[in-house]
Amino acid sequence: MKIISRAASVAVVAAVGISLAGCSPDSGSSGPVQLEYWGWAPNIADVIDVWNEDNPDIQVKLVQAAGADDIVAKTLAAKRAGEGPDLVQAEYQKIPNLVTSDVALDITEDVASFKDEFTDATWALTSLGDAVYAVPQDTGPMVFMYRADLFEQYGLQVPTTWDEYAATAAQVRQVAPNAYLGGYPDDASTFVAYGQPLGVDWWSIDGEAWGVDVDSPESTRVADYWQGLVNGGLADTTHFFTPEWNTKMNDGSLLSFTAGVWAPGAVASVAPDTAGLWKIAPMPSWDGETAAGLMGGSSVMVTTMSEHPKEATKFLEWLNGSQEGSSALASIAGLFPASIAGQESLSSLPLPELVSGQSDFWTVAADIAADTAPVTWGPNTQVAFDTYTDGIKAATANGTSFADVLTKTQQAVVDDLKKSGYDIAE
Amino acid sequence: MTTAPTTRVGRTRRRRTAGGALAPWAFLSPAAILFVLFLIIPIGYALYLSFTQLKVAGGAFGKKQQVFVGFDNYVASLTDPEFVASLGRLGMFAIIAVPLTLGLALVFALLLDIPRVRATRFSRTAIFLPYAVPGVIATLMWGFMYLPSTSPFTAAFTSLGLPAPDFLAAPEIFGSLANIAIWSGIGFNMVVMYTALRSIPAELYEAARIDGANEWTIAWRIKIPLLSPALILTFLFSVIATLQAYGEPQTLRSLSNSISYSFFPLMKVYRDAFALDNIPGAAATSVVLALGTLLISVFLLRGLQRRTFDS
Repeated sequence: MKIISRAASVAVVAAVGISLAGCSPDSGSSGPVQLEYWGWAPNIADVIDVWNEDNPDIQVKLVQAAGADDIVAKTLAAKRAGEGPDLVQAEYQKIPNLVTSDVALDITEDVASFKDEFTDATWALTSLGDAVYAVPQDTGPMVFMYRADLFEQYGLQVPTTWDEYAATAAQVRQVAPNAYLGGYPDDASTFVAYGQPLGVDWWSIDGEAWGVDVDSPESTRVADYWQGLVNGGLADTTHFFTPEWNTKMNDGSLLSFTAGVWAPGAVASVAPDTAGLWKIAPMPSWDGETAAGLMGGSSVMVTTMSEHPKEATKFLEWLNGSQEGSSALASIAGLFPASIAGQESLSSLPLPELVSGQSDFWTVAADIAADTAPVTWGPNTQVAFDTYTDGIKAATANGTSFADVLTKTQQAVVDDLKKSGYDIAE
Repeated sequence: MTTAPTTRVGRTRRRRTAGGALAPWAFLSPAAILFVLFLIIPIGYALYLSFTQLKVAGGAFGKKQQVFVGFDNYVASLTDPEFVASLGRLGMFAIIAVPLTLGLALVFALLLDIPRVRATRFSRTAIFLPYAVPGVIATLMWGFMYLPSTSPFTAAFTSLGLPAPDFLAAPEIFGSLANIAIWSGIGFNMVVMYTALRSIPAELYEAARIDGANEWTIAWRIKIPLLSPALILTFLFSVIATLQAYGEPQTLRSLSNSISYSFFPLMKVYRDAFALDNIPGAAATSVVLALGTLLISVFLLRGLQRRTFDS
C-alpha cells in the first residue's frame, strides 16, 4: 500500500509539472512580437539585424532551418505538426506546392498597401490566379559569369550564341586540357532556365486543369544540344556547390558558371580567393532572342501557422519592398532585388567582391533583368526536378539519351498530378 | 486445531502475493511506456496513414484533403519498377557487404583467440574503434577518400602510373558503399563472436591437441561449429541492418553521379515522404519493407532453429 501511494503521488506531481510546463506564456500585448524567419540567403542575418535595431516592437529571429532543397519538406512537416515559423523563404517554383498544402497564407489584402513597390510581372511570380501568396525578394535572371583573367590568358572570346559556346568549349579543351568552359544542366531549374527564351514552359493552366509539356520540341532541342557537349567531353559533369565543384572553381578548372545573377554572391562564399577575377555577360542566345531565363530567385511567404500575419507582412514590406531593405539585400546578401526601388538604387551600391573588376556590373545586370521570359510552375515541381536529376545523372553515366529523360519526366509529372486528383488538360 | 494456523498463513501469503503482483508491472512501466510511445504509436500511425492519400478537392489550386484509399498505396508501391530496382541494388550491396563483414569478423575473432597471441587488448580496441564512428561521419570521411581530387588511393595509383579506378561510378559504387559498411560493422560482429569463443571450455582444445590437432584444425573442426549460434545471430543482425541501409548512400549522393534519390529502398521511402510530399505512399512502402524483413527473419530462425537454440 505504501509503495502504491508513493508511486501515485510521484505520478501526480509529474503530471502536474508537465502540464504546467506545457502552458505557453500569454502572447500579445505583453512584450514585443516575436517572428520566426526560415531562410538561407547568404548573410541575411545581418540584414535582419538592421530591422531589429530600428523596430524593437517587432523582433525577427532568423533560423537557418534548411537550404533551398530541404526547406519545403521541413515546412510541410512543421505545418502537419501544427507549429512552425511565421515566415519562410521559398523559391518561386515551390510556391504552388506550398499553396496547395495550405502552408502559404493569402496576403492579397495586406500587400495592397505596397503593391507599387514591384512591377506587375514580378507580382505574377508569387500570385496564383488573383491571390498573392508571397512577397518577391530577389529574381535570378540568367547571366554568363566567366573568369575574365583566364579568358584573356587563353585568348577566348565571350560567346553570344550557343553555337559559339560549343566552339569555345572545344577551344578550351585544346588550350587547357585540365579545364572546362563550364558545366551542363544536371539540375532541372537550370535546364528550364536555358530553355525559357525558346518558350520552354513545363506547366500551364487551362481553366481548372493543368497542362504538362516537359518533352516539347523546344525542350528536346535544349537536351540534344547539351547531350552533344557532354558526349564530346566538352562539359564538366560535377554538380555545382559540391566539394569537388568548389575546388574546381577555386583552381581555375572551370572557366564559367551560367546561373542566376545571384551567382557572384553565392560563389564568393566557396571561392573567396578568386575575388575580382570574374565578369558577367548576357547568357548566350539560341536564335538571337534577347529575353533571359530565370533561375531561382526567391520570395518570402507568411505561413498559415503564423499568429501575427500583419506584423509579418509589415516586416516583408521593409525587407523586400523598401529601398533600405532591398539595398541591404543587394549589398550584404548579394541578391538582385525584385523591388523597383531596389533595382533603381543598384548603381550606387558597392560591387559584389567576386566581380569587383567589372565596373558596369550593375548596369549589365539591370539590362538583363529588364527582359525576362515568363515561366509557370506547377504544384508538383519537386517530382519533375527529382525525376529529371536522377535521369540526367544516369544518362550521363551510361551515355544514354537526354531526350528520353524528358519523356520519363513528363510521364512522372502527369502520373503524379493524376494521383493527387488534378485534371490534366489534353 | 491445525486448520486455524493454515488459514492464517494462507491469508498472509495471499496478501503478500497481492502486493507483489504489482511490482513487476511497476518495474516494466518505464520501458513499456517508452516502447508504446516511440514504437507502437508511430507504427500504428504509419499503418493508418498508409491507407489514406492526399487528394485535391477540385480546381487547379484546390487545397489537398486526406481521403481513405484502401490498398491503393500498397499496390502502387509493389508495382513500382523503381522499388523493385532499388531492391535489386540492395541485393548487390548485400552480397558484397554481409559475407565480407562476417567473414572478416570471424577471422579476427579466431586470430585473437589463439593462445599466446600478443597485443590482444590493443587489437580488440583497434578493430572495434570504427564501429564507434557515427555513420554519417564515416561516410563523409570515406567519401573524401573516394573523390579523385582528395583521394590518397587515386594519388597512389597515379604516382605508379596506373589508371585510377573511379570509386564513385557504377559498378564500383557498390564496392565503395559495401566497404564503408564492412569497415564500420566488423568491430561489433567480432566482439560478439569473440565473446562466444571465450565461453568454449578449454578442455576441448586440450583434448584436440592431445589428438594431434594444430590451430587451424581446432578452428575449423571445433571452434566454428561451436560458434554456430553466434554466427547465425550476427548473420541475422547483418541482414536486418543491410535491409535498412540508408546513411551511406544518402550522404554519398551529393558526391556521386551514380546514386539516385531512390538508390536503396529506404532512400526511396525518404524521398517519397519528404521530397515528393507523398507520406501515405512512403508509409505503405515502409510497411512492405518491414513485413519483408519480418518474413526473412522468421524464415532464417525457423530454418536454422536446431543450430541456433539446441546446441
